[in-house]
Amino acid sequence: MISLEALKLKLERIPVVSGGQAVRISLLSLVLSFIIFSVFLSIEGANPIDAYTNIFSFAFDPNLGLPTTLHRGLFLLFSTLAFIIPYSARLWNVGMEGQFYLGTIGAFAVAYSLPTLHPALLISLMLLSGALFGAGYGALAGYLRGKLNVNEVVGCLMLNNIAFWLIYLLTVGGPWAGIAESTSRPLPPNAHAPMIFYTPFTSYLAVGIAVVLYIFLSKSVLGYKIRVLGNSPTAAQHIGINAPRTYILVMTIGGAIAGLSGYHMWAGDPAFLMIPRPEAYKAIGDLTYWGLIIGLVCLLNSLAAVPLSIFIGSIMTGSTVLVRRLRLPFGLDVLFLGLVSITFAAFQFFYMYRIRRMK
Amino acid sequence: MWPFIARSLEVATILLIAAIGELLNQRSGVINVGIEGLMLLGAAAGFITASIWGLIPAFVIGMMIGGLFGLIHSILSTSLKVNQVVSGMGIWLFAMGFVTYWADRYSGPLPRGVVSPRIYELSPMFFIALIIVIVMWFILSKTHLGLKIKSVGENPFAAEVSGVKVIRTRYLCTIIGGMLAGLSGAFLSTTYLGAWSHLPTKGLGWIAFALVMFSLWRPMILLGGSLIFGFIWQFAISPETIYAGIPAPLPILRMLPFIATIAVLIIISREKFRKKWALSKPEALGEPYIKE
Repeated sequence: MISLEALKLKLERIPVVSGGQAVRISLLSLVLSFIIFSVFLSIEGANPIDAYTNIFSFAFDPNLGLPTTLHRGLFLLFSTLAFIIPYSARLWNVGMEGQFYLGTIGAFAVAYSLPTLHPALLISLMLLSGALFGAGYGALAGYLRGKLNVNEVVGCLMLNNIAFWLIYLLTVGGPWAGIAESTSRPLPPNAHAPMIFYTPFTSYLAVGIAVVLYIFLSKSVLGYKIRVLGNSPTAAQHIGINAPRTYILVMTIGGAIAGLSGYHMWAGDPAFLMIPRPEAYKAIGDLTYWGLIIGLVCLLNSLAAVPLSIFIGSIMTGSTVLVRRLRLPFGLDVLFLGLVSITFAAFQFFYMYRIRRMK
Repeated sequence: MWPFIARSLEVATILLIAAIGELLNQRSGVINVGIEGLMLLGAAAGFITASIWGLIPAFVIGMMIGGLFGLIHSILSTSLKVNQVVSGMGIWLFAMGFVTYWADRYSGPLPRGVVSPRIYELSPMFFIALIIVIVMWFILSKTHLGLKIKSVGENPFAAEVSGVKVIRTRYLCTIIGGMLAGLSGAFLSTTYLGAWSHLPTKGLGWIAFALVMFSLWRPMILLGGSLIFGFIWQFAISPETIYAGIPAPLPILRMLPFIATIAVLIIISREKFRKKWALSKPEALGEPYIKE
């Protein structure tokens, strides 16, 4: 038990944390996780400064890691936006993983059935279908929560696991199986995402959605209603906001955004252009939970989420050099991400309290 | 047939031990959605310990690491008042990274010689799990301590006024909950699987988490739920033992436990059950206790 009284300190509740404070808190949290990770690096016999230099010089080098940094970072942005909208109504969308899988299925179903369509048309249809599939899955979780009162955290997690096996069903020995058995067939060339400055065009789409979402939540009437519902369900009831319908709506929008990331992930990285084997697509699916962390760290500000997502993307990409270039043990890169996430979670404390010295 | 039942009972054991721990900490008002992560940590610690020192130390170390992260969850959620879902998710994401780093280099079966004792193909841990559940039921419904724990989960302010140490009780319950999740993980990796593969829990922790909600926070209903879901889980893995030539492909079967969970969730959320459910839900579940 932590006894602050003994240290002559006391907690003071902060009514609203400002953007500037949030940035400072997040930077401190990152510094702490970097320090902790240095211990692990030292245990493995690496020089931390050297390792961090390697990580970030690789992640931001246009000829090496930058394309992947942007690609993974903006993938996280999709997940973050998919979290932010429902959370504005205080609904925990932890179903980004499943919505992303469904978006993948939606996009690939179009690509496989119309492989020779003109690229512009094919890609638009893939995005549309991915968004629809994701939206449907999000709506399902929203329906369970809104109409049937099923806890959305548990509901979403179950749907995520079901969606994982759905892709498995289609790829591993299923109708979409490629020659390598456990991966899917490659995407037709017409479905590959065009690149603009090191990154697929869907990255810009993600940033565009972030801007639209920011305006929607802060300026529109519907966005206002969503926030009222989030801040006070009782007040929302009094002014006639239909809670179940709003819950379904926010989950549907969130699901659509997460669904778009299915196309972005697989068609936007030349290393994939197909659905990889189950462990690999599950590892990507697990990244979607970062949406929750990034969304909360950014105080649900979707514009602030853009740089933070890219930064986390740079850690994801850069830390792979630990294993590949510095020959450190496998898994050190994911450990780094884990440390960053748990310190971010712990530092949520400073979003609510400040420690003062007692007089 | 019996080998299949024995295996299902072992899955039920995994679910039951983890879920009874979660039930305890939810009774005290703390949700731990990091339960899958705690199981992973326990599984890794248990597996590595078992290959060096054998099974009993493996369970002890598994429990200790689970308890340690239960403690971290209580520091975050009870003392620092971080949202319990955020704290749990943070622990889960950390556990996935740490366990991959720590245990994946030992992937493969346990060394020869480390063999779990089995009574008619069933691990004695099943009976230990039953004892844990009975003890937990007894503590929660028949003792003064149980009353204190429940009062902390229902109304921490009233509990504090009547002399219950709210913070201390929540710490205690969350740590024990973590220890049980760790034990469950250690049992999973050393006995049920007997091998390490990348992130072996495969959603069992989430099922255990959902089981707590179904159980209306009652240990005996939890026992029934674990047995049913243990059976469904094992059936999805080896259906041919009881239904040779089943037409459904493997992935469909593997979805079953999760689909069944949603079905039960829908049933208990119906109007008829909802009132009962709302009544038995610990009133202060998920709420940080902020002393004025």
